[in-house]
Amino acid sequence: MLKNSFLLCTGECYLHVPVQQPIFICKKRNRSIKSAAAAAAAVAYNATSSSAAAAASNLEISSASSPSSFPLFQTPSSLQPTPASELEPADPDFYKIGYVRSVRAYGIEFREGPDGFGVYASKDVEPLRRARVIMEIPLELMLTISQKTPWMFFPDIIPVGHPIFDIINSTNPEIDWDLRLACLLLYAFDCKDNFWTLYGDFLPSADECTSLLLATEEDLLELQDHNLASTMREHRQRALEFWEKNWHSAVPLKIKRLARDPERFIWAVSIAQSRCINMQTRIGALVQDLNMLVPYADMLNHSFQPNCFFHWRFKDRMLEVMINAGQRIRRGDEMTVNYMSGWKNNLFMQRYGFSSPVNPWDVIQFSGGARIHLDSFLSVFNISGLPEEYYHNTGRLSNNGYNFVDGAVLAAARTLPTWSDGDVPPIPSIERKAAKELQEECQLMLAEYPTTAKEDQQILDSMPEARRTLEAAIKYRLHRKLLIEKVIQALDVYQEQILF
Amino acid sequence: MVSSISPAWVLCQDNGISRRIVSVDGSVAKRLHLQGSKTSFARAFVTSIWQLKVGLHHSSGNVRLLPCIKCENSNKEGSSFEQVSVEPPPYHSYLDSTSGQLEPASGARASIPGQEFWPEGTASRVRAARAPEPMGASTTSPSYGQNPGSRRKKYKASVASSETSETSGVPDIPDDVLEEPKELLSEYVVYQSEPEEENLSHYEMDKKIGRPHPFIDPKAKKPVEEPLTSEELWWNWRKPEKEQWSRWQRRRPDVETVFLKAMAETGQIKLYGDHPTMTETSLYRARRHIYKEERLKAEQERLERIGPLAYYSEWVKAWKRDTSREAVQKHFEETGEDENTQLIEMFTHQTDREYRIMMGTDVRIRRDPLAMRMREDQIKEIWGGDPVYPTINYIQDPDAVIDFRGPDFHEPTPDMLAYLKEHGKIISREELEMKLAKEKTEELEMTDMDEAMAQAVDIGENDDEGEESDDGEEEKISRNWSILKSNPELRKSKGKPKNNNLSLEEAIDDSENLTDFLMDFEEDE
Repeated sequence: MLKNSFLLCTGECYLHVPVQQPIFICKKRNRSIKSAAAAAAAVAYNATSSSAAAAASNLEISSASSPSSFPLFQTPSSLQPTPASELEPADPDFYKIGYVRSVRAYGIEFREGPDGFGVYASKDVEPLRRARVIMEIPLELMLTISQKTPWMFFPDIIPVGHPIFDIINSTNPEIDWDLRLACLLLYAFDCKDNFWTLYGDFLPSADECTSLLLATEEDLLELQDHNLASTMREHRQRALEFWEKNWHSAVPLKIKRLARDPERFIWAVSIAQSRCINMQTRIGALVQDLNMLVPYADMLNHSFQPNCFFHWRFKDRMLEVMINAGQRIRRGDEMTVNYMSGWKNNLFMQRYGFSSPVNPWDVIQFSGGARIHLDSFLSVFNISGLPEEYYHNTGRLSNNGYNFVDGAVLAAARTLPTWSDGDVPPIPSIERKAAKELQEECQLMLAEYPTTAKEDQQILDSMPEARRTLEAAIKYRLHRKLLIEKVIQALDVYQEQILF
Repeated sequence: MVSSISPAWVLCQDNGISRRIVSVDGSVAKRLHLQGSKTSFARAFVTSIWQLKVGLHHSSGNVRLLPCIKCENSNKEGSSFEQVSVEPPPYHSYLDSTSGQLEPASGARASIPGQEFWPEGTASRVRAARAPEPMGASTTSPSYGQNPGSRRKKYKASVASSETSETSGVPDIPDDVLEEPKELLSEYVVYQSEPEEENLSHYEMDKKIGRPHPFIDPKAKKPVEEPLTSEELWWNWRKPEKEQWSRWQRRRPDVETVFLKAMAETGQIKLYGDHPTMTETSLYRARRHIYKEERLKAEQERLERIGPLAYYSEWVKAWKRDTSREAVQKHFEETGEDENTQLIEMFTHQTDREYRIMMGTDVRIRRDPLAMRMREDQIKEIWGGDPVYPTINYIQDPDAVIDFRGPDFHEPTPDMLAYLKEHGKIISREELEMKLAKEKTEELEMTDMDEAMAQAVDIGENDDEGEESDDGEEEKISRNWSILKSNPELRKSKGKPKNNNLSLEEAIDDSENLTDFLMDFEEDE
């Protein structure tokens, strides 16, 4: 099932914009947007970038006018190309090394775009009553450390008395989980016959990582966020000090060869940070909170509306990746998980090296006293649920083509200063006035940035061969501005459609 | 029909257990079945027998067992068998009301239940086993942790571009260092990569496949000769030479053998081979007996020569008086106390310890130095291991069916009377009467009470009977022998039951026991 679906790629380019999921961000492990076409599609959600929208509509028109697109006239065996099929399939050995170690992948394929790996469905999956397994990874292939002392490793690859254990043991149990995991990863690379010596070839190398640990000083300045930049400097400094302390010239060779230069160690830390999965596992009767590096499962990208999740199957000690129950999957859909719920963009940037313009948990700090009526705002945008779990009522009250509401609007609903006082109705004129005040505040925020969103976009387009970290940094500030702009638009819509 | 079906079959290995012909798509098999049920599909296939086992349906959760179809060929070119016309069954399949589907009328009628009825975990295992192996060959080779990210496509492109510009050869890892041969040629396991070519004979092939075949290979089969009658068998039976056909024929490690081996190890004697032969054993037994007899006789002579008082004063340290015959006689003349009275008088001065030493019951005296020096396993060979936790040489295998027949069970029963006579266990009436008459005369002669008294005092090794009872008790110890070894005073604390049910051999061997020999041996040292 992994091998045959991409054999029939035609030259035509079909662009399937996933309209059923307006709040959908696919983020690559290394960059936020997978390819040029997908970038256009992603940007096409925003009405601001008109040129990209025009490009996307051109593509749609061309695909609609091509004769063979009518499904009945196509032979059933030929598979329609999807956005995923433009990406390159992963190396065959990528599957083989796992298959012989009883990793199983069902109905998915790993594809590699210019921004790194992603997992895509290779066939349609009807909505099922129960969660459906798409990947099984045995514990023996993972690298895990217990989150608290005593340090336990499953599988225990560190021999008794090895000095790497002393290094791991010297870390701070509360905060240094990434350093521990990096040590373990480097040690696994040094172990003969360890699976990670093979799998490591498919991890992003140092120049493909977007983690800001690997960023240069000018990259950090490009963030236009002093707090984040100083945090990243501290993190980098912490990793460097750790390396200098434990990899000084007098250490034995078996430690020294793990990371001869600090770059390799910082790379390992960035891998550990961006690919760590924290899970509670159960092995026999032993319940453990683990920091785990899970091969294959770490190729899943993040989405705020994920269609997959992780599940620990304790019976045979496997990590299962399962499709959400009741989720319909189309062939070529990207399989995504939610890395962290409730994190702001700067935390995502700090740990994973990506950000999103539609993060529903992003926060804008308003300092003025203006407030809008919460319930009116929610009803205008057809948002339901409690504040912790706002969601857009797609298809019930609004028509399907209406895809203005995305994660940014949910973020606005959370972050805008609002009032709500029982049944007291809002007065429209006062509401409009408050909305305008908020818009002005947002404009002030935008004016504080040295560049505008359009300029950022142009900078991005002008240098396709830029460093990954620089690209990520520019995207981060771009996404911040896009969010603020989206809030301004949402307030516009609110003023128009407020109920009387 | 054949051409439409043939691409649909793939040969797929089902979990390594059996090879089946499995339909990829269940609908094809269904169509085949429906078509076959309409026409008589006896002439469908060219090959002689096609047995289709239809695998489980893939996509639908409901698993059906599609009918087994057996086709006979009609052309007689390979007709090694007689064409039998069997009345075909009235139906090939029937609609099972339980499953609601067509079920085969022959073979396994119970269909495999649906996936939702499988036990927990079965579905995932089946799914994992069915996952096809990934195909395709990689063009890159692993860097084994040295170069992370080296097998990404993007990485490769950038490296290739830089390589063309720099023209610096990256040292290529040879292609044999790939993942695949490493897996196949493990250090310990050599996997059989391709099936072994085997040329089986017709019979073996039949047997392997499971076609009907005779029980015995007709080539190896020999005609059965006319069997002898049981009477002839009885009289023609010959004892097999040197054939151990029961483990009970094994020579058991008896006391003599073990002792001989221990003596040979310590260099006291020399054995011809590893194990003492029967001759050596019996020689040893006889010699031991003779030594014992000699010693007992010498003791008796000494007693008679120096008199009982002098003889036993060895064990009465407190008796300082002169014990020579003259002194005894003198004392008798002075006080009128005869020898017996003096002896009793002397024994009143004997301490408890001296008494025990004299009777041979003092544990502090090492009586059998060799047995004390024997290794643990040798002792266990004699006494067996602990029966609760059998260690070594546990002869009585608890699961064994006891074969009471010895290797000589077919030999004629020995003449017991002659045997007993020869060994002096039985005597004729005349002899008995002669002895009785002699004893009567002896009794008349035996007026000397002193001598009788002297005889009555018993030192341990003087009496065969006492030794025999010792021996019997020692042989009876079958459990916790190691405790008894470490503190042997426990042995004496028990009563001395006389075992009356001695077998014949034990009765023969009763006089030759371990301790006696060892005491002789000690003296020789």
